[in-house]
Amino acid sequence: MVTGAEGRANRIAIWALALAGLAVIYAPPFYLVAISLNPALQPGLPSLSDLSLTWYARLAHERGLVAALRQSAGVATITAVLATLLSLLAALAYQEMRRARSAWFLAMLLPMFVPGVIQGLALSVIFTRLHLRPSMLTVAAGHLLWAMPFAFIVILTSLGAVRGSFLMAAADLGAGWWRRFRDVILPLIRPGLVSAFLFAFLLSLNEFARAFYLVGRQNTLPIEMFGKMNAGASPTIYALSGAIFLVSMLCVGLVMLRRRGTGSQAG
Amino acid sequence: MAIEIRIEGLTRDFGPVRALDDVSLEIAAGEFFTLLGSSGSGKSTLLKMLGGFDRPDRGRILFDGQDVTLLPANRRPANTVFQDLALFPHMSVAQNVAYGLRVQGIGRREQERRVGEALALVELADFGGRNVNLLSGGQRQRVALARALVMEPGILLLDEPLTGLDERLREQMRDEFGRLHQRTGATFILVTHNQDEALTLSDRMAIMHRGRIEQTDAPPRFFDAPANAFVARFVGIDALLVPEGIEAGGAAAVVAGQRLPVAGRAVPGALVALRPDRLALAPQGEGDAPLVLRIAEIQFRGLHSDIRARFDDGQGLVVRAPVDIAARLAPGDPLHLWVQPGGAVLVAPHAPSAR
Repeated sequence: MVTGAEGRANRIAIWALALAGLAVIYAPPFYLVAISLNPALQPGLPSLSDLSLTWYARLAHERGLVAALRQSAGVATITAVLATLLSLLAALAYQEMRRARSAWFLAMLLPMFVPGVIQGLALSVIFTRLHLRPSMLTVAAGHLLWAMPFAFIVILTSLGAVRGSFLMAAADLGAGWWRRFRDVILPLIRPGLVSAFLFAFLLSLNEFARAFYLVGRQNTLPIEMFGKMNAGASPTIYALSGAIFLVSMLCVGLVMLRRRGTGSQAG
Repeated sequence: MAIEIRIEGLTRDFGPVRALDDVSLEIAAGEFFTLLGSSGSGKSTLLKMLGGFDRPDRGRILFDGQDVTLLPANRRPANTVFQDLALFPHMSVAQNVAYGLRVQGIGRREQERRVGEALALVELADFGGRNVNLLSGGQRQRVALARALVMEPGILLLDEPLTGLDERLREQMRDEFGRLHQRTGATFILVTHNQDEALTLSDRMAIMHRGRIEQTDAPPRFFDAPANAFVARFVGIDALLVPEGIEAGGAAAVVAGQRLPVAGRAVPGALVALRPDRLALAPQGEGDAPLVLRIAEIQFRGLHSDIRARFDDGQGLVVRAPVDIAARLAPGDPLHLWVQPGGAVLVAPHAPSAR
């Protein structure tokens, strides 16, 4: 048995370690958010009285950034839609498989472990060979490879909620395959589908390496921002970073909330 | 309308394991039929095939004379209460019960009427709007029953529906099955490993073992004339004695030098089964001679005592005796055992399954 004093000391140490870890992870982005609120041209922590949204207001006038943002949002939407749909099919196929299961699982996950630079380069070579002009779609193709393994895992996990006997019961009551899918599988995995969509969207939005090889004339946001940084950063970059960070947090928070909600709700 | 079932030579292999081995069976329309067996006996596999969830490697299944062997579950006039109930967690009680009707495209008003009736039948009339995840075990059980019965099936399949319920609820639901069988008139097929359920509810039952049916009969017949040593042991007749000989005509057998009148047919290698409920420690009538054994051990069991006794040739048996009587006996004493008429039956030895 651990004595009370020992237990308390341990607990304090563990909490301290956890908080330090969290600080290391979250301090930089929050610092970024903080300097985005500084109206001065030089980056630095603003004093509380100086807080201003100047750079956020200026964002709308940055043509290049706005166009890049629009491009990224488009790519992310295409990626998220396709990743969710294809992963759903892949996960359903996995469920039907017996012997090929582990091979299929590996095949779906492997793209996750291929370095983005290599994947981007490979795709770009092939697209050039096929005379496909780089565009929103070529970037989305690269991002699909990146986002799909994640979406696949999320959806596969959510399929765990669909017990085999539910499907047997539905069949027993007269439902054919399509009705079983629509009436039983779909409602039970909906939270998983939403999560998969949001994950894929965010992964695409933040991706740099693959996009770098595959973009056409219009840069995606991370590439545009990288270029801006090299060219001497305007503080609007910090504002945009801050905005994206906050929106991302919001999305993930939403997913978590939904997750928690599904446990108790019916219908 | 109740449906008559005919099963012909059903065989199913799972890899090297033969789950069903040439099973044939006829079940009359409206009968309450039970498949009884321990786990791995093939009873659940057989039920799955009746429901249309699995296909046999060989053999046929006929409903009212029509071959349904290849008909998928969603097109069979049979409904199932699953072992884990399989209530849809994202639907309310009423939505669960209405699901089959909804799939059939039956109108909303008709749906509501029939769901109401089905819920009333299982005494859950006011539960329609409830969340199925928050019901008690017995209530969930009733919802599953209502969901199957609302389809007015010709055959209701019950897959170990009472496992997982506590004893009191188990008895209550068991009586419910009997009542619903009478009310609906459908052919009920129950799969269970619980002998009590089987004996109480069934018109007829089959004892299964290793993919084969050992005996199909009305419940009392399993005690009057067990088909073989396995069946006898399964229903609790543990005293199986090897006779030295059987008199010509088969009216009596000789066990350890003592003559014992027996019922049943003398087949080669037949054993003498002694029904524990037809053994007495005192004379029952004029002039019948007791078997004489020697007591080896007496075990106190609470409301009775078990007396372990042996014949001269070493064969033994256990007799249940009132505690007071057992207290007057001691190991080494002789034990006099009167066998009542029908208490000793010749049974076939258990043939190793032909494989």
